[in-house]
Amino acid sequence: MDKRTNEEWVADLRVGGDRQAQALEDLRAIILRGLPYAIAGRIAPNSPQSEALTEEVVQETLMRVLEYLDTFEGRSQFITWAHKIAVRAALTELRRARWREVPLPEMEASEDVDTSYRELPDEQASPEEQLSRAEMMSRVNRIIMEELTDKQRQALTAIMEGFPLEEAAQRLDTNRNALYKMLHDARLRLKKRLEKEGLTPQEALSVFEQAGK
Amino acid sequence: MKIKRFIHRLFGSKQQKPSLGGTSANPSEKMQKIMAMLSATREVELTCDEVFALLDQFTELAAQGADVRKLMPLVQHHLDMCGDCREEYKVLANILQGTA
Repeated sequence: MDKRTNEEWVADLRVGGDRQAQALEDLRAIILRGLPYAIAGRIAPNSPQSEALTEEVVQETLMRVLEYLDTFEGRSQFITWAHKIAVRAALTELRRARWREVPLPEMEASEDVDTSYRELPDEQASPEEQLSRAEMMSRVNRIIMEELTDKQRQALTAIMEGFPLEEAAQRLDTNRNALYKMLHDARLRLKKRLEKEGLTPQEALSVFEQAGK
Repeated sequence: MKIKRFIHRLFGSKQQKPSLGGTSANPSEKMQKIMAMLSATREVELTCDEVFALLDQFTELAAQGADVRKLMPLVQHHLDMCGDCREEYKVLANILQGTA
């Protein structure tokens, strides 16, 4: 039965005994209906890998629901709240499996900023456009080298390479929330420094957009 | 000719030495991405944990057709900036849509 009100869900899960067991069983069925949406397109459905993941995620979700039951404030349907926990657990596992073998990109610290961001000439860009793009890259690279810590640069590099925040955080011995804060601080520092140098991100962006036209 | 020589000096080498962004994508694309991120950066942003606490409410409102960009702008902004949270939001939205 999944027609319980929020209050009934919380009460049944708290009470213990048969009522709690039945509520957990019902919640398990609900989570199982949602998990295929997390798995779809990420691993083959109905594969042994998918079945193992599903079981692990369901168990973990039920445990977390019980553990964090007191934090449910009723601002959504209870089952939406439970699905949210399941989605986080499933995607965390899937990201771990997908990125496990991929090394975190190494950032090469270099004082020789002029050699950074070299690329082959864009045949569609005029020599002047290529020149201003190269100058802008060199300038931004210098700012990045001067303003950010090694860890911030490494995190930024990882994110630019498409690393999930969660995975990058684990490799950098931190957690996702702290890494987001660290990257936010890095972005703010870069933005303020650009502004101090009389340059807005939009102006810098326009140099590359023009070059790409 | 002077400019041409300078450009050749800058771009002529196929050997890349990126100090940021690795070697797998076009550096100017990465630079555009960084600038777009900086352009969207705000002084105050919600963290992943803060967004996670609101994600169920946000997703239900969005599923009901509410203007979440107006109602919960900080959550929407975080989802624009954070790939992990955005991915989780999309899956949760699909669940609500598919199991309703």
